[in-house]
Formats: sequence, structure tokens, C-alpha cells
Amino acid sequence: MATDTPADGSGSVFARPLNWLETQSEEVYAYVLLAPAFLLLGVVAFYPLIATFRFSLLANSLSGAEPFGEFIGLGNYVDLLTGETPFTQQFISVTLADGFPFVEFGAPFLQQALLVTLAFAIASVVFETVIGFGQALVIDQDFYGRRWVRVAIIIPWAIPIVIQGMIFFLIFNPTIGWGTEFMQWLGVFGDNPLSSSTDSFFIVLVADIWKTTAFMALLILAGLQSIDRGLYDVARVSGASPWQRFKYITLPLVAPALLVAMLFRTLDAMRIYGLIDATAGCETVPSLTCLVITALQESRRWATASAVAFLTAIVISAFVVAYLVALRRSSGGVA
Amino acid sequence: MSATDPATGDDDPTVEMANQADREEPDLDRGPIEAWAAKMISNPQRAYRMTFYVATFFFLVTTLFPFYWLLVVALTPRNNLSEVGVLLPAGFNPGAFIEIFITLPFHRYVFNSFLIATIATVAVLLVGSLAGYVFGRLRFRGRRPMLLLVLVTSFFPPAAFFIPLNRLFNTNVDVLRPLISAGSLYNTPYAVFIPLSAIFLPLSIFILMTFYSQIPDGLEDAARVEGTTRLGALFRVIVPLSAPGVATAGVLTFISVYNEYFFSSLMTDGRPGSWAPMLEGILRFQGEFEVLYNLMAAASIVAVLPVAILVVVAQEKIVSGLTSGAVKE
Repeated sequence: MATDTPADGSGSVFARPLNWLETQSEEVYAYVLLAPAFLLLGVVAFYPLIATFRFSLLANSLSGAEPFGEFIGLGNYVDLLTGETPFTQQFISVTLADGFPFVEFGAPFLQQALLVTLAFAIASVVFETVIGFGQALVIDQDFYGRRWVRVAIIIPWAIPIVIQGMIFFLIFNPTIGWGTEFMQWLGVFGDNPLSSSTDSFFIVLVADIWKTTAFMALLILAGLQSIDRGLYDVARVSGASPWQRFKYITLPLVAPALLVAMLFRTLDAMRIYGLIDATAGCETVPSLTCLVITALQESRRWATASAVAFLTAIVISAFVVAYLVALRRSSGGVA
Repeated sequence: MSATDPATGDDDPTVEMANQADREEPDLDRGPIEAWAAKMISNPQRAYRMTFYVATFFFLVTTLFPFYWLLVVALTPRNNLSEVGVLLPAGFNPGAFIEIFITLPFHRYVFNSFLIATIATVAVLLVGSLAGYVFGRLRFRGRRPMLLLVLVTSFFPPAAFFIPLNRLFNTNVDVLRPLISAGSLYNTPYAVFIPLSAIFLPLSIFILMTFYSQIPDGLEDAARVEGTTRLGALFRVIVPLSAPGVATAGVLTFISVYNEYFFSSLMTDGRPGSWAPMLEGILRFQGEFEVLYNLMAAASIVAVLPVAILVVVAQEKIVSGLTSGAVKE
């Protein structure tokens, strides 16, 4: 495939470093080959993460060329957690609805954003796991036209976030979409759902479930297909019903793959930004990442934005640790 | 596989017994629903098959209907948009698919996205191949902590990287002046594909590592005996033999970069000449005076086509890469 790369050593420019590489030990060779990857990750991930933390310890400087002021320690975090930070907007808009289900008035705005993000992550992962399991069981079967059903189920996963947002923006647009009317017929939505926080939260949730359930389905499918089919034959011979086969064979054997899939999805859901930006907007459904961008662009509070960004990273790390503990427990110390 | 299969359960002895029971059953006075229920009870296989078909149909409708409705909106003339139905367009105006290229240079936005995704994919495959080879085939001190470090990067939210990167890319670097007119990376493809390459690199390293580690050592040794360099053995033996894995990593990276929102929307000022990606184009149809809903829908369909085709062509790669990567021979 890639035989024409400079790696063939015939070019005179590459000959000398390649010859040098030949004489090195395996360990040195390994480090040399890893250098490009770590250089890229260093510039884009490691350095920015440390720099974000450093920025978050500085004061905001609202005038002048330099956006950061003097060192103030954990002041930004204290202000954020106590609600002292003057965001341009302090509360989620609750127009046309009775209020956001899990957000109290007067709570610090960061807390509101944190609750929105956590509620979104948990709700979306739960729904996607259940529906994804159903889809995986369907794709796992052998039937005529299976290939096309599989394509149809995967396609939403592969579409750009902006188009996913556009679809739901149009569906719930009061003038042209049918979604508002339909939901009002069910008796739940207000007149302009995309400007109400409660309604928009559910729109964003449904949009996310629509797109990413396929990803869960694929990862669960991986777990399903690694199950030894002979186990099912044994179970059938001993008279197990399909439900028993599912409960005693499928579920326990799929659990490790399921937990990994849920971990990836949770991490992804906690970063939600694009879908919100393309549908309801960050003012209506503020997630943590939304807060970073709002602080940066609207009020030029770079240090505050850095503090929010670092807090987001901390929250996500907490989830990673929790999942890894659960994963280790479920695989019985094998991993 | 066919043993657990609800769609082809005919070879199952219980089915035949149930069929016999059906035939021998005396003629009871039953309505259609009761008759159906009785059949389901006497033959549970049929009920499972039924559930399976209903589930398949439900999943097909829920995933595909939004695309169909996008087409309905795109075909509706602008003046009739308030009357657009759920199933049929109000009028027929395929001109929207041409208008999107006249109102805005939408082709330029799509081209920008393609270019960025292609460069990022090539970069990720090259860098990821080297790292995947090392993690998959070599033994050295610090392997586990370094692999962990790579995987941990993919956990962090892009927002935690954004602020320093934004500063870095906005800094004027005199060295770059001959290459880039403004001297900073902002508003260049670099500002989008560098962060995206790094963010999607860990996934590719992981996929390639799995595939490369499964090539038998003997093949690599044979190539070395034949006189290839170490790198030659990697690119002439390991990489070609792992072609399905490389294709999987490539397809996943391309789709991920093309679909990305966060950096794509923040690293350029949104003008087509500033290498703004496709998403800015779609959002720009939210004009200053009027929102051009039908053009938004048409542009969305055009921008979805490349990935949709990629999924149809490479779905085996996507699925098998994720499913059988671990059990590949």
C-alpha cells in the first residue's frame, strides 16, 4: 500500500538517518518512532491542558491587549462555585415553561450548566444504551437485506453534527416544522420550543439519541459477536427460553463491551457543544463547554473560561475513574 | 448462527409441531385478533420473528425519516415553506440545489472540509502507523504508561485545549510569514487540521496497534533477512498486510474530522476564503434578513452525500473494524 514512502531508504536525504536508526537498540528505535505522535499530542493536548490550568489561576483583564491579569490562585474557581462570576446571563431562560426540571433559581450559573451537562450525559447514555442494544440485536441476526438495514442504522452516526442540528432545528421550527405541533398535540411543548430551556433540552436529547445510538449499537455488536454461539445451542438443548438465553448468556458476556461503550459515550456527551450551538443556542441550553465559549467570546473573561474548561476536565476525569473501577469489578480482575 | 435466528426458524422441529397443531385445531369461532393471538401462543417462534420485524421497521423509519423530510423541505419553494407537510413538499423546486452554490460559494466550503479531512487523515495514518507499530510490536521500557498517556488524551474535552491553542494560533510568528500571508495560523487549514489530527490520533493508534500486533513475527523477520530496513519492513510488510485496519482507521478519521464541530467552528472567521469548513456554510444560510430554510435543507443534503456514500461503500470496514478487530487472524 504505502510502498512509495521515503521509508525505502533509497533517497540520499533519508539514507543517513535511516542507517543510524538501523544501528540503534529496539528501545531507542521505539522512542524515535513515537516522537511524532507525542510531538503532536504535546502541542495540541498536553501543553494546552497545563496552560489552561495556569491561565485559570490568573485574574481576568477586561481591557488592554493581554487578556490575563495577575496571579490570584483559586479565586476564579471560588467565584464560579459561589456564583460571584458576572456572566452576561445568570439564569437559564425559562420562558413559556414552568422552569427547568432540575435547576433552582438563584443557583450559581456554573452549577446550572453543570446540572444541565450531567443530566444530558446520563439521560442520553441510558437511552442510547437501551435502544442501541435493540439495534445491535437486530443487526446481529442473519436475514435478507441485512446489509442495507445495517447501513441505514449506521448513517445517522456518520452525519456531521451541524446537519444533525439543522434537521432538528427545522423539525422544531414553529413555522415550517411538524415537531412543535406534534409535541403540542401530545400536550408537552410550548409555542416556540427552541427558545425554551426545558423544551430545547429534550430536543437536544432526542437529536443526540437519534445520532449516536448507532455508535452504541456498533460497540455492543462487537461484544455480541465475540460470544461463542455454541453456548446458545447448549442452552436450547437444555430448554432455555430466548429470554433466559438473553439474560444468562448474552447480558453477562456483553457487559464488559457495554461498559466500555458507555464510557466512551459518557465522555462524549459531557463535551456537548456543537449540537446545542446549531439548534437552540448556548443561551437556552448552557452546557459546560458552552459556558467556556460564552465567557470567552461575549465577556472576554479568558481566565474564567479557563477555569470552567479545567473544571469540565476534572468532572470528566471523575467519570473515567468511576467507570474504570466498575469495569475492573465486572470483568472479575481479568483486565 | 442460524440456530438463534428468528427469520429462518423453519428447520426448527418445534415449528413443525406447531404447524401441525394449527392444522389439527378444531374450527373455533375466533375473530382475527384472537386467531392471531392463538397462533402466537401456540408458536412462540412466530411471535419472536414478528417482534424482530417490527423492531427492524421501527429502527429504519426513525433513522431514515429525518433525511426524507430534509428533502421535502429542500424541494418546497421558499414562498410555500409555511405550508410544507410531513410527507409531501408544498410545490416542487429542485432549483434550491443550484441556488445554494449561487447565494454562497457552498462548493468552496465543502472543498475546504474535504481538504482538511484528507490532510488530517493522511497525517493521522502516518503518525499513527509509527506509534501503532511501536505499541503493537516492540517491547521497551515505559510502554504501558506511554500508551495510557495517549489514551488519556482522548478523554479530555476539546474545550480544555482550546484557549491556549487559540492564543497560539493567533500569535504572529515571523518564521511563518513567507508561507502564510498573515503570519499566524488562524484562518488557515492548519488551525483546523492540526488540533483535529491530534484529537483523533489516539483512536487510530489503538486500531492500528491491534492490527499490527497480529502480523506473525516471521513475516517481518523474513523481510529483514531479505535486506529491508526496519522502516522498510514496517511500510512494505506490516502496513500492506494490515490494509483492512489501515482502511478502517482512515475511514473513521475522515468521517470524524469532516463531522467535527468544535474546532471547525472556532478556528476560522467563517469566510470561505479563510478556509472555513462546510459547517460555516450551512449556518450562513441563516441570513441577515431572512432564514433560507429550503437552502439550509438542500445544503445539508449535499454535504451529507459524501459521508453517506462512504458509509455505504465502507460499512463492512466500519463495522468489522470495530467488531472483529480484536479477533482478526
